[in-house]
Amino acid sequence: MTHAPKLSPSRRSVFLCALLGFAVLARGAEAADPITIGAIEILSGPNAKYGFSIKNGFDLALEEVNRAGGVRGRPLAIAYEDTGGSKEQAINAARQLIARTKAPLLLGPTLSTEMFAVGPIANERKVPIIGTSTTANGVTAIGPYVFRTSLPEADVVPVTLRTAQAKFGVKKVAVLYGRDDAFTKSGYDVMKAALEKLGVETLATETFGAKDTDFSAQLTKIKSLDPDAVVMSALADAGAGILLAKEAQGFAPKVRFIGGNGLNSPKVLEIAGAAADGLLVGSPWFIGKTDAANQKFIADYKAKYGGEPDQFAAQAYDALHVAASAINAAKDVTGEAIRDALTKTKIVGVTGPLSFTPDRDPADSSGVLVLEVEHGAFKILD
Amino acid sequence: MAQIDDFLWTYQNLLASLGVNGLLALSMYVVLAIGQLSLGQAAFMGLGAYASALLTLKLDAPFPAVIAASMLVPAAVALVIGAPTLRLSGVYLALATVSLGEILRVVLVESDLTGGALGLSGIPEKAGLPLIFACLALALVAFTLICRSRIGRAMEAIREDEIAASASGIDLPAYKMAALVASAMLAGLAGALNAHISSFISPNEYGFDAAVTILSFALLGGIGSPFGPVIGAFILTLLPELLRPLHDYRLVVNGLIIVFAVLFMPHGLLVWPIGRIGAKA
Repeated sequence: MTHAPKLSPSRRSVFLCALLGFAVLARGAEAADPITIGAIEILSGPNAKYGFSIKNGFDLALEEVNRAGGVRGRPLAIAYEDTGGSKEQAINAARQLIARTKAPLLLGPTLSTEMFAVGPIANERKVPIIGTSTTANGVTAIGPYVFRTSLPEADVVPVTLRTAQAKFGVKKVAVLYGRDDAFTKSGYDVMKAALEKLGVETLATETFGAKDTDFSAQLTKIKSLDPDAVVMSALADAGAGILLAKEAQGFAPKVRFIGGNGLNSPKVLEIAGAAADGLLVGSPWFIGKTDAANQKFIADYKAKYGGEPDQFAAQAYDALHVAASAINAAKDVTGEAIRDALTKTKIVGVTGPLSFTPDRDPADSSGVLVLEVEHGAFKILD
Repeated sequence: MAQIDDFLWTYQNLLASLGVNGLLALSMYVVLAIGQLSLGQAAFMGLGAYASALLTLKLDAPFPAVIAASMLVPAAVALVIGAPTLRLSGVYLALATVSLGEILRVVLVESDLTGGALGLSGIPEKAGLPLIFACLALALVAFTLICRSRIGRAMEAIREDEIAASASGIDLPAYKMAALVASAMLAGLAGALNAHISSFISPNEYGFDAAVTILSFALLGGIGSPFGPVIGAFILTLLPELLRPLHDYRLVVNGLIIVFAVLFMPHGLLVWPIGRIGAKA
């Protein structure tokens, strides 16, 4: 029987009443004009997974904000525009959100490279823009309207390295990084500076390409130099490949592999399996953080989307709360006023306390956690 | 007036992309018009973009000089690589020119001067819409005149049958080299204009994907006349933006439209050639 179940007349009237009630309710909520802010994210193409994590984080926080009465007595809404990861589309999206949608505030874009193209436009029109996943150096130097809530690599990596130095007595390291990717190259620059500052000796610096799958040459050389640790700036796939290769070459377990933000991904564990044990990574957020706010966030996220949130969703969730708080505190709903309010905003989010430095970077890196892989799972190193 | 300003501001980058992609389509057209499949346009575009951006950022050179350099640098490279690669033809030439793009990408990624994988940012917005469309109009007029001339007839002869053309006294190597150099200059110009309107460039913008996109402009529009590739570029640039309201289905519909266009118009949208001076109907 493939008939659709028919509603009996009485059931149908109940259904209609419910629908009507719903419509009335919806109308009540929309009586006040919503304040619409813009979000520019990658919602199609190979990097869409990041964009959707971020969108989920925004939407979850948006629901909370609106349930608590919205902003300035009006509901808050987000207009999303997709970039497909392309610079040109990101620019078009930003221009439309600013001039057509008249968004007083922009969130995003997903990649630092997109921010370098979009930031100057927002700045020109005096519309504040908050990056939630843009970690490269120089993002906020674009102009006074460019903010970010994502801790730059420059804040996360030194914490990881300092911890490794203190805990495991790391004195000499080898560095391995992906040279042809903006993210891994920028991570390397930060690592180099941090290692120099900590007085850790760098025995060798080796590189690889983003699509490489064979790392044995680099690792053979590194192994012969006998470092205390190997510091690597790589994305998840390459990072996992390196871990598998070092296992195959029989590196001593005491040689720690230390990764940047790119390796702080469940995918590394999936691919590398047991070879990932002992890996150290820094992260602005961790699903195992036990504070109440984080537990509630994870529970709500699972209830709404079914899956577990990742770092990008957590950072986006916090960024929307920052945005809502700034819009509430601003003296009016213009870009200038919201910008001024943003510089004074202070909230405690799931990634820790959040406020901005005078340079519009996140002020507080106390939320950074150093994670260690043990028996195939990340745990907080203590 | 305010509304027009608002419209122009909103779609400034899209309009600029139309002009830039139109120039790129023409740079593809020049080589296709003599029956060569060269895929080095993206690399030449990158050369022009980087040369111009470096001159602006590091030396603060005057803009006209920057634009001139953005055409001369790729032209010089085309002259050097032209001699060995133009002995190749068909798919071998395509492969050799694709590798040119890869070499450029690797060099850009390795070099500190060009900012490595991070690219160059903070390029001032010096190329306006009037300049971009003036360049495109100028190039179109020039090509139309060439098509109507003896040179145009020679190019068509080479495209139809190289041996016959050569036997009729057409200097094949000279034509091929000239086409490659013209193509490089146009692509370089497009690169410089693009760099000076979008404020940021990075090595990955000039890779294989870009080469194929530029080829698709010409194939969709048809290479019967220089207007075909430009129309193709306009359509392929506008479609993703026009389809924005479709949200999730955007790329699907975009792809479908292109597939149908290619299926039902295999020679491109504009197939009519330009009438030649003195030609009899």
